[in-house]
Amino acid sequence: MTDETKKAILVVGGGMSGLSAALEAAEAGYQVVLVEKNAYVGGRVAQLHQYFPKLCPPYCGLEINFRRVKSNPRITIHTLAEVTSIEGAPGDFTVKVKVSPRYVNDKCTACGKCADAVSATIPNPFNYGLDQIKAAYLPHDLAMPLRYVIDPSIAGTDEGQKAAAACPYGAVDLGDAGQELSLNVGAVIWAAGWTPYDPSKIEYYNFDKSPNIVTNVQFERLAAVNGPTSGAIQRPGDGAAPKKVAFIQCAGSRDENHLPFCSSICCLASLKQSTYVMEKLPEAEITIYFIDIRAMDRNEDFYTKVKASNKVQFVKSKIAMITPQANGNLILEGENTATGERFKAEHDLVVLATGMQPNTALSQVPFDVTYDPYGFLTSGQAVIGVGTVRRPSEVVTCVQDGTSAALKAIQAVGR
Amino acid sequence: MDYNQTFAKEVYEKVDSGDEIKVCMQCGVCGATCPLRGEMKYGPRQIWSLIRAGRRDEVLNNPDIMLCTSCYTCQVRCPRGVPIMEVMHGLAHYALAQGIVPRAETAKFGKAFWEGIYDTGRVDEAVVPIKYCLQDGLVAGLKKSLGMMDIGLALMKAKRMKPKMFIPPNIFIPGVHKIKGVKQLQRMLDKAAAIDAAKEA
Repeated sequence: MTDETKKAILVVGGGMSGLSAALEAAEAGYQVVLVEKNAYVGGRVAQLHQYFPKLCPPYCGLEINFRRVKSNPRITIHTLAEVTSIEGAPGDFTVKVKVSPRYVNDKCTACGKCADAVSATIPNPFNYGLDQIKAAYLPHDLAMPLRYVIDPSIAGTDEGQKAAAACPYGAVDLGDAGQELSLNVGAVIWAAGWTPYDPSKIEYYNFDKSPNIVTNVQFERLAAVNGPTSGAIQRPGDGAAPKKVAFIQCAGSRDENHLPFCSSICCLASLKQSTYVMEKLPEAEITIYFIDIRAMDRNEDFYTKVKASNKVQFVKSKIAMITPQANGNLILEGENTATGERFKAEHDLVVLATGMQPNTALSQVPFDVTYDPYGFLTSGQAVIGVGTVRRPSEVVTCVQDGTSAALKAIQAVGR
Repeated sequence: MDYNQTFAKEVYEKVDSGDEIKVCMQCGVCGATCPLRGEMKYGPRQIWSLIRAGRRDEVLNNPDIMLCTSCYTCQVRCPRGVPIMEVMHGLAHYALAQGIVPRAETAKFGKAFWEGIYDTGRVDEAVVPIKYCLQDGLVAGLKKSLGMMDIGLALMKAKRMKPKMFIPPNIFIPGVHKIKGVKQLQRMLDKAAAIDAAKEA
């Protein structure tokens, strides 16, 4: 089998699912084009502090995958790129891709002189807006490609000129207009990933009214060494170390008014995050408010372990109301369904275990495909769904699913 | 524990929207969001639980099922979409049809409200309290209205009640001020009541 006789496989989305699919297909000898919306690949995994259940850093596994990508000549990556149209059928697709300008070309050495020269800042997307970053920035330490980005907001301004003037390598290209690509591929794998459910939609949680209510993805950044607090868990409101941390499960999930399905990972995410608090703030009290703890199959062990530590109080109650106080604390109200008691509890930091909304529910595939009632891609289609656009899943499932998607794509290309 | 399905089935079949509680996942949001959570002993979730446990007397005699003020908060927040308010009213209605009065004063007030609608086709905010107070006779009525003076004053202060409401022609005197076609309305209400009675029998 030679690369020339087979059409390439397009992978849309460079998160864990997309990377896995791309690598498996490329290592099996197929040409792969990977299109990623962000300025870097690695997706939401790059933003995690630790994985459950082994509590190891995701950067480690990502680095291995990045090395596999770099050493494989069959993979072409386009970042800041989005698919605008798909035509054709398995075996012969024509796909249009819009690449947005990065304003930095491949001469960039990631020296950081452009960032030093620029004074404008933007909310740091990598830290979910918890801090500000210079408008000329490296998305994160291990960004791949390791290349700075000039934010479009300064590209046409004096700030942009300063960045260009500061670059010793001529890597800042303010005339970058992006490009339109037309690709002919044999298979399309859709690995567009997920978005945390917007908690401001759960109006009785008052997420917008208090900086001390954070989402679980933000909490990962608060615990991460390369996060806004260098890994110190602090209340975003005043920087104080919290003494009473609450985790609220099903913040949007299992709710007909929001996401009617179980997002399946949030229980483990909160259990994992409770270990961050135990490790970094041993004096802090931790409470997990839940409807049911859903620790699937082998992850039950992790739940048992956390429970055995006796450092986490488990309260069987869906929280019905969060009321911010003048001192920044938060009053939680609910009904303890194990005792029947209706309670009020005060906490100084609240973490909402927001669920997984498939990105296909927010932005559909530009092709005739079918979705389930929640916006997940259904199986057996011309465009191959993988990972969290197919169902809510943890990282390990996404990796497995990536391999299976690669196999389906290879079959489609061979047709 | 000895579970008895008989009462749960009775509720599913005979109580308005009663079968909707089957999907309840016992999260507790209803009881904790209820503005009357301080007044209710159980709240909706625990009542559903008692229904499932077959505790008929405890449910139908429970004042909680008559405390619902129809504010809809629990109903719009219920993650399972249970029409909680409708079930609470359904239970209260069902209890009354069985000759059980879970909360006497609420039942009397409801009766006064309902009779006004039935007789005249209108709700008059002056007639309802008068009818309510006088149900047990003039002396008892005067006592009751004096006992509720603080509520009356608060209502007046909030301009929800004004003395002139009680002076004709502002007050719609029962039996005098009727809507057009009140007989047709009564026939409709009678028919609805007959359908209800057949369901609840």
